[in-house]
Amino acid sequence: MSRPSDLVQGTLDLLLLKILALEPLNGYAVSLRLRQVSGDVLQVSDGSLYPALHKLEQEGWITAEWKPTENNRRAKFYSLTELGRKQLEKESANWSRLSVAISNVVKLKEA
Amino acid sequence: MRPKHWFYTLPLRLRSLLKRNQVEQDLSEELRYHLEQKTREYSTADLTLEEAHRKALREFGGVELSKENCRDSRRVNFLETLAQDIRFAFRLLPKSPGFAAIAILTLALGIGASTAVFSLVEGILLKPLPYPNPDRIVLPELVSPPGVNLGSEYFPWAQIQFRLLTRESHPFEFVGAFQNDSFNLTGSGEPSFLDGFRASTEFFPAIGVVPALGRAFTAEEDQPGHEYEVILSDRLWRERFSSRGDILGRAVYLNGYAYTVVGVMAPGFEFPRAEEMPSSFNFPSEPQLWVPLAVAAQPKGGPSELAVIGRLKPGVSLEQAQAAMDLVTKRAEERDPQWKGWFNTRLVPLTRQVAGDTQRPFGLMLGAVGIVLLIACSNVANLVLARSLGRNREFTLRAALGASRSRLVRQLLTESLLIAIAAGAFGTLVAHVGIDFVKAYGPSNIPRLREVRLDPLVFAFALCVSLATGILFGLAPAFGATRKDLASSLKEGGRSSAGTPVSQVALALVLVVSAGLLTRTFFRLLGANGGFNPLRVLTFQLPLPASKYVDQNHIVVFYQSALSRLRSIPGVESAGIGETVPMGGEGESTVIRMPDHPVGSQKEMPFANYTIISPGYLSSIGTPVLRGRDFLESDIADSTPVALVNVAMEKKYWPSQGALGKQVGPGSSRYPLMTIVGVVPDVKHISLREETIPEIFVIYTQKQWPSMLNMRVAVRTKVDPASMTESVRAAIHSGDPDLPLAKIATLTTLVNDSLSQPRFAMLLLAAFSLLALLLASIGMYGVISYAVAQRLQEIGIRMALGAERRNVFGMVLGQGARLAGLGIAIGLLVALGVTRLMSSFLYGIESTDPFTFAAVSLLLLATALLACYLPARRATRVDPMVALRHE
Repeated sequence: MSRPSDLVQGTLDLLLLKILALEPLNGYAVSLRLRQVSGDVLQVSDGSLYPALHKLEQEGWITAEWKPTENNRRAKFYSLTELGRKQLEKESANWSRLSVAISNVVKLKEA
Repeated sequence: MRPKHWFYTLPLRLRSLLKRNQVEQDLSEELRYHLEQKTREYSTADLTLEEAHRKALREFGGVELSKENCRDSRRVNFLETLAQDIRFAFRLLPKSPGFAAIAILTLALGIGASTAVFSLVEGILLKPLPYPNPDRIVLPELVSPPGVNLGSEYFPWAQIQFRLLTRESHPFEFVGAFQNDSFNLTGSGEPSFLDGFRASTEFFPAIGVVPALGRAFTAEEDQPGHEYEVILSDRLWRERFSSRGDILGRAVYLNGYAYTVVGVMAPGFEFPRAEEMPSSFNFPSEPQLWVPLAVAAQPKGGPSELAVIGRLKPGVSLEQAQAAMDLVTKRAEERDPQWKGWFNTRLVPLTRQVAGDTQRPFGLMLGAVGIVLLIACSNVANLVLARSLGRNREFTLRAALGASRSRLVRQLLTESLLIAIAAGAFGTLVAHVGIDFVKAYGPSNIPRLREVRLDPLVFAFALCVSLATGILFGLAPAFGATRKDLASSLKEGGRSSAGTPVSQVALALVLVVSAGLLTRTFFRLLGANGGFNPLRVLTFQLPLPASKYVDQNHIVVFYQSALSRLRSIPGVESAGIGETVPMGGEGESTVIRMPDHPVGSQKEMPFANYTIISPGYLSSIGTPVLRGRDFLESDIADSTPVALVNVAMEKKYWPSQGALGKQVGPGSSRYPLMTIVGVVPDVKHISLREETIPEIFVIYTQKQWPSMLNMRVAVRTKVDPASMTESVRAAIHSGDPDLPLAKIATLTTLVNDSLSQPRFAMLLLAAFSLLALLLASIGMYGVISYAVAQRLQEIGIRMALGAERRNVFGMVLGQGARLAGLGIAIGLLVALGVTRLMSSFLYGIESTDPFTFAAVSLLLLATALLACYLPARRATRVDPMVALRHE
């Protein structure tokens, strides 16, 4: 599965879980939201977004449902499951630990 | 995995598998929605709708790729590919039915044969005995003093020795003695003759069993005068007493005495069966009842007839127990010098005793089946290899179309597994038939053979063998075939396949030589001189109840009148009684004394078989008197004691002067010496291959020792002996209607039964070698055919240049002959080493019998050439033009 090279492995899952934790969204809306929240820093191609979403669905972390959109088109809406919420907590905790550790290293004063 | 996880994911997996179309549709619609939204987003700017759509697509970066990645995330791709491979294999295999059939058949035969043999080995050797903690049960055996040949390494216990043992501090939790006896059951229907055991109180606790109904014997019942209780076998209870529930406490009449039934054993309990015990005990094969042994507190001397069984105390090892037994021996010797050298014991675990001698034929079977399986597997490997080489173009094409290497390997593997599974199923059938065959035709003295059946464990074994074969021989060519450099794999395949027929021929030769040696052994045995003539002789056992035939006078009078009644039957040529009949089992043996051979020390005590017979016995079994005379009716109690001896006895003690006129007697001087009046040939007792030992015949009218209550009768007839059974029975019953006639059999039947083991070994190896020959010729055929196909062009050129058809024919045949010759040479060397291991199965021929070796080599060569015949013929039919255009 192709991933944007500058995305740390596993962070895409974390981002998607977090976005869906806020509200159930369809795939297109997720891509919009991704761009919106991260500016252009995190580049996720549309082509790799869907496999990532499907993987989360197969893991049982998110669940999908076909619902009408505002403009009355049928779209697949993803929402977080109970398992997904736990996974999100776990991954956010991991991420915090990792980022603290890395920024500590980065902040080290050079001799 | 966690159940909660499955709650979410299982429906998804099932949906992906079962509603594949729906899932695909959803995926397309989801992506289409995305693209539509995107297009709309872009088209709001200054782009046309079409341009916006294209931009959206570009940004998406490969819709099909994305879809494939989504499919990968479904986790059921593996199953889908597998299904695809299986569908493909099912389409492909029937297109080469020859390959599929031969591969499946070859593997099925190999797997079936090995499964059958494994079942037998498992059921007979490996399965634990049906008693609690069977590894704690041991048989203490008395070992002959060093240097003394009693005809067997061990000998039975005397009652006094058993008493000594129970009084000493011994290593057993329970220790019991037992001896076989026969019982005439009367009072309920037709009198019948039953085999049974006299067993001491701790016999059942030592084995660790209790009766299914009632109880075992108490210590009070195990005393002389109180021993009239009986425990019945389940079979006896069912067949004779129709399983009546009120059997306990009832009286049954055994040998004329009333016995109270105190117990009924569980179904299947038949301990000890003859085949589970040392053969020198001559135990019955299916005991039906047990009565107390009742050894006196101070037993007098008497014949040694007891076997002993013990259960080791908890925590005592076999070595510690042996040490404790050695201490018992030492104390007995210290107390009474008569035991010096005659009380050495050896503890034999029951599990080892039960497997015992029967292990060897199974070693033979395992070896044979191993060779067959090896040939079968190498055949299949060769077939699969040749086939995959033939499919190079297909693989190259598929690789060019983007199939990954692992994908190709997986497909080949699937095909191999399919073949292996089919072969496993078919092989199970073969195994069933094989086991039934062994059960039907196997020797009757293999313990627990009747209980052998194909069990789930063995089925798992068959499946494992077939799967392993499939994987192994699917993988090897699969890797070879998918190697980048296809040309080199082609060459390699051609090279390696030449070694296969060579080793197959070699292996087959080893097997066929072994079978040939066993066949020659069997025919040597058929022609062996047992010292008797089995034609037209009826034999049976005539047990007399001790209650009615109380002393020797009664017995002699009865036999005299019975013999004269038998001889007066029309069609009877002669009749006689004897303690044994040839091939009917071992007789008595005893220490003897000869005035002209004074005994130096106890270790040199001479030993001989001691057989009571009547006048007419020798002529009935067809044994001539070589020198001197036969017993006469005039040799009676008051006349001079006389004896006959066999040639082995004469050769051993009076090689130059001859035995006639010499004196011999039982070891104890209580019995008078007898004058030898005749010399007879060595008569064999148990098997035609046995080494005969010295034997003394004494006449029943002059007998002093031992009991004559259980004699055999031999009747030589002028017509078919089996047709005389009823008139013989009537003649006996006119003297005593209560007497049962037991073990009625013609002498020919007894001889046949004694040959059942060598016959079985021969048939078995013959079947395996036939299989090996068949498989090896299939292998040879395959390799030569393949070589011919490879050399089509060369053959075409040769023929275009003027080679004759017979030259081409000879060339192909020559190639086969070279391979076969090499195989035969290697096989002969291996066979020379292997057949030495089976010399104990042979009789009358050397393990390096040149005739067998030469005949088998020729047979192998002929078979190989026959296998090459078809491909050679095909080679001569090559049209030079077609061959030259080929490729």
